[in-house]
Formats: sequence, structure tokens, C-alpha cells
Amino acid sequence: MSVEPDDQLNELLQFLYACPVGLIELAADGEIRLINPLAMQLLLPIAQNGIVVNLFRVLETYAPELRNIVAAFSGMWGIVCEGKRIFVHPGGKYGSADPLVLACTLVRIDCQRFMAALTDVSKQVMQEQRLRQAETWFATLLDSVNDYAVISLDRNGFIDGVSAAAARQTGLSRDAMMNLSLDALDLQPRSTASSAARQIAIAQRDGWHLDEGWRTRPDGERYWCQRLVAARSEDECSNPRVITGYTVILRDVTQRASDIQRLKEMLTTDHLTGASNRAHFFEAAEHARLACNAQGQPLAVVAVDIDRFKRINDTYGHAAGDAALRAVSAACRALLRPDDLFARLGGEEFVVLLPSMDLDSAVGLAERLRVAVKAITVQVGDVYFGLTASFGCAAMTDHVTAITELLTAADALLYTAKRNGRNRVEPSLPSVAVLHHAAE
Amino acid sequence: MLDSLPFGVIGLSEAGVVEIYNATESRLAGLPVARIIGGRFFEHIAQCMNNFLVAQRFIDEPEIDTIIDFVLTLRMRPTPVKLRLLQSAGHALHFVLVERAL
Repeated sequence: MSVEPDDQLNELLQFLYACPVGLIELAADGEIRLINPLAMQLLLPIAQNGIVVNLFRVLETYAPELRNIVAAFSGMWGIVCEGKRIFVHPGGKYGSADPLVLACTLVRIDCQRFMAALTDVSKQVMQEQRLRQAETWFATLLDSVNDYAVISLDRNGFIDGVSAAAARQTGLSRDAMMNLSLDALDLQPRSTASSAARQIAIAQRDGWHLDEGWRTRPDGERYWCQRLVAARSEDECSNPRVITGYTVILRDVTQRASDIQRLKEMLTTDHLTGASNRAHFFEAAEHARLACNAQGQPLAVVAVDIDRFKRINDTYGHAAGDAALRAVSAACRALLRPDDLFARLGGEEFVVLLPSMDLDSAVGLAERLRVAVKAITVQVGDVYFGLTASFGCAAMTDHVTAITELLTAADALLYTAKRNGRNRVEPSLPSVAVLHHAAE
Repeated sequence: MLDSLPFGVIGLSEAGVVEIYNATESRLAGLPVARIIGGRFFEHIAQCMNNFLVAQRFIDEPEIDTIIDFVLTLRMRPTPVKLRLLQSAGHALHFVLVERAL
């Protein structure tokens, strides 16, 4: 008699074991009560020390807002979030070229229990990024555009034809543009936009590449430029395709950019602090690395971590913690240049990306950020409190050439700053220390 | 004697087949000894240890005597345990010892 239910139970277990989606039952604080093998397989490599007992803790670094999303859900049951993207790491980390992105759906089962479904959507995300670019491009074709220009390149990437509008948009005469490379049209070396060589390499591979970024006209005016590079071939049928040249379309979309800008903000910013999100940071950092490399410019990062943040949360509550994160983000962003990037990587951990800045200047900036953070007073209800942060700075060198290595170096110095008493910048350059003492 | 130990003892052949499965492990894991002996441990019985933290180490390291913090997920329930992994060139069997009361 007792054999049947036992068999049924085993069948049910086998069903869950074989499930191609990661399934987890968790409590409202993230404590894992049930977990199937696929979920374990997805979480184990990204958990600290391989300890998977609390979903929020495992994902804290990658999606700190998960806890807030669950806490903010007021229904007694139903879908809390659907297919939320969690960017675990960008391509290139751990020697692999593949990024890792998980999609997480959370369902409230009853007042105590939640269910999480996890899937690996890395491949899908890469494809979507390409599609979204194409879609933005074609959708905006229908809108009014300030101006667009057509340039033709020979197969080596040199300009062999330009439209009248191209001259207007770049501010150079048609004759002056002939035989130049596209990069020669960029007057300001420090630009958020792609280099021509990189764009052409991708167009060679995929047929086209779309880039968006600030470019500068000869009169110094900055404009938001969409630049499409499409490969041309005489004979569409031959295989492999022989590329005979490229068609480039430049569009000035500065004034029309507000909708796209809003969409872009939604996709690239952390909703709590307004800082860039993790996914956007790695994308922008890789972009900046390539640009700075190509131009022989330095590149630095500053890792920022709020001191004793857990104590702020424990003493004043999570709302105070959130207010502290917002205040630090605002104070730091106010001191940065337009092309610098301030991003929230997770929890109370921020990073500043500083294109064309060497280590000394980065340390100097970090010192100014430290002073600005120390000046913050956070108000939550009737409570006022101050805070400090620690900073670790690193710049690209012959030995540190990847973004992840740069971050690791900055992180290591950040922890040195913590160990040396917090509210500090490491490395602390002697010249900076002298100035600092003189000021106090 | 193995059966009276307060922790689980699992002895595996070089091929990963269960040769020893003590009563403590059987009771705490809820798996009858008879069903486990002769089975392939990492592939069919304890898939939750079939990863780089446990199974892979027996393949990579000829000599192991280490204790690690680990989370078992038998029947999908996470249970924090300490595992002692033992392997030595002179012994035919390698062992996983499981301590649950933490």
C-alpha cells in the first residue's frame, strides 16, 4: 500500500530533477527551502565559496534590488517580477568570451513562500542587443531627423565619396574629406563613440554596425551622432562575400534624442541611485578601453564603497540605506566630467570610469570625492547622520590590460583603504597627502 | 563499527561506485543502504556533489584530506554540512564524510 505514494513522490522528484529551468522555493528573506539541480548548477559558480542557502545573498552582488522588489510587492500571491535580467558578468571574464545573463521570474505562492524560476538567457541577450540596435535605427528612419549624411569608403576604409550634407555635418569641405579615414572626422580624441577600425571590422563580419555617441564638429559643437557602417559587395551571391567598400550614414539626432535618451536611461541606469547599472558599466568600460588603447590614452577606475554601510542599514533601516546610496551617487556625479561614468556595481559598491585619466589624476579626483562624501548629511524622517566612503584607484598598465583586471586591482586597494582605517583613498600619493594636510 | 559513527561515511571505488554506505548516512539522507550500494554515486545518487567543489576534486587531486563547507540538496532541500574528502594513492577507495549537526 505504501509503495504507490512513494513511487509517485519519486516520479515527481525525477520530474523536477530533469526540469530544464532552475526552480527555487524561498522565504520572504531569501532563505532557500527547495532548489532543483539546474538552479543549483546556475548559482553554485557565482556564489561566494559555493555556499547557496539564501537567494538574495547569492545575487546581492549582481542584483541588489531583488530584496527591495520582493519587499515592495504588496499582493498576497501572484507574479512579483517576470524575466528580470541579472547581468552576472560581461564577456571575457574567467577567460571565457561569453557573457552570463540570468533571467529571474518570482512568484508569490502564499504569505510565507515565493518561487523563483531561473534560466540562462546569455545567448538571447546578445541577439537582442543586435536586434534592438537595428530596430532603433529603422524606427528612427521614420522620424524627423535634423540631418543625415552619406559617405562612401573604399575597401580599405578610406573616404572615396561624400554627399553635400556630409560636408555640412562634419564641417569639412568635400575635397578635404577625400582619402581620409573616418577617425579623421573626430576632432576630439576623448569621445564616447566607436573608432572606425572597430566599426569596420564588425561590419566586415556581420554586414553592418550601428554606433551611437557624442561627436564634435570643427566649431566645437557636440552632437549626438548615429553612425551606420554597412558593407558593400558587387556580387551578392559569391561565397565568401567579397567586400568592395562601405557605405556610412551619419545622422545628427541631438534634438530628437529625448525619447531615445529616456529609453536608454531606463536600460542603462540603476533605478534607485540614477547611477549607471552593472550591465551598462561593463559595456561602456570595454568601449572606453578600446578607444583609449587606440589613441594611446590612459584609462583609470576608482572603486568606491560606503564605510560601515551594514551598520547604517541596521541602525536606521533600509530606507536610510537607500537614501545614503542616493546621496553618495549624487555627490560623486556632481564632480565628474561629461564622459566619465559613475556606476553602481552592486550593494553599496560603486565604480567611476575615467577615460584619458592617469593614476595620479584619478587619485586626486578620488580625494575630492572622499571630501564630498564626508560632507554629506542624510536625513530620513527626524534622523540625521553623516557617512564616509573608502576609495581604491587603478589605471591601465602593461600588466593590467583587461577591465576585470583593472577592477580587481582597484578593489584590492579599496580593501587596503578599509583596513587602514576607512575614509581614505589608496594609493595615497605623497603629493596628495601634503595638499590634504595643508587644506586641513 | 562504521554504522555507530555520528557522521555519514561514503566509500567509493575508483570508478565512483558506492562500496561503503554507513547506517548514519542512510538514516539522515533517508536512502536505504541496499538501494545505494553498487550505484554510481555522483551521477545517480548525489548529483548535488557532481561539480567542481566535490566530484572534480577527486579527479584533479590524487591526494586529498580536506574539510569544506557545503550545501547538500538532497530531495531539493538545502542542508548546510561539513564534508571531509579523503583520497590517497595507497588506498583503493576514496571517501566522503558528511557531518550534518553544525
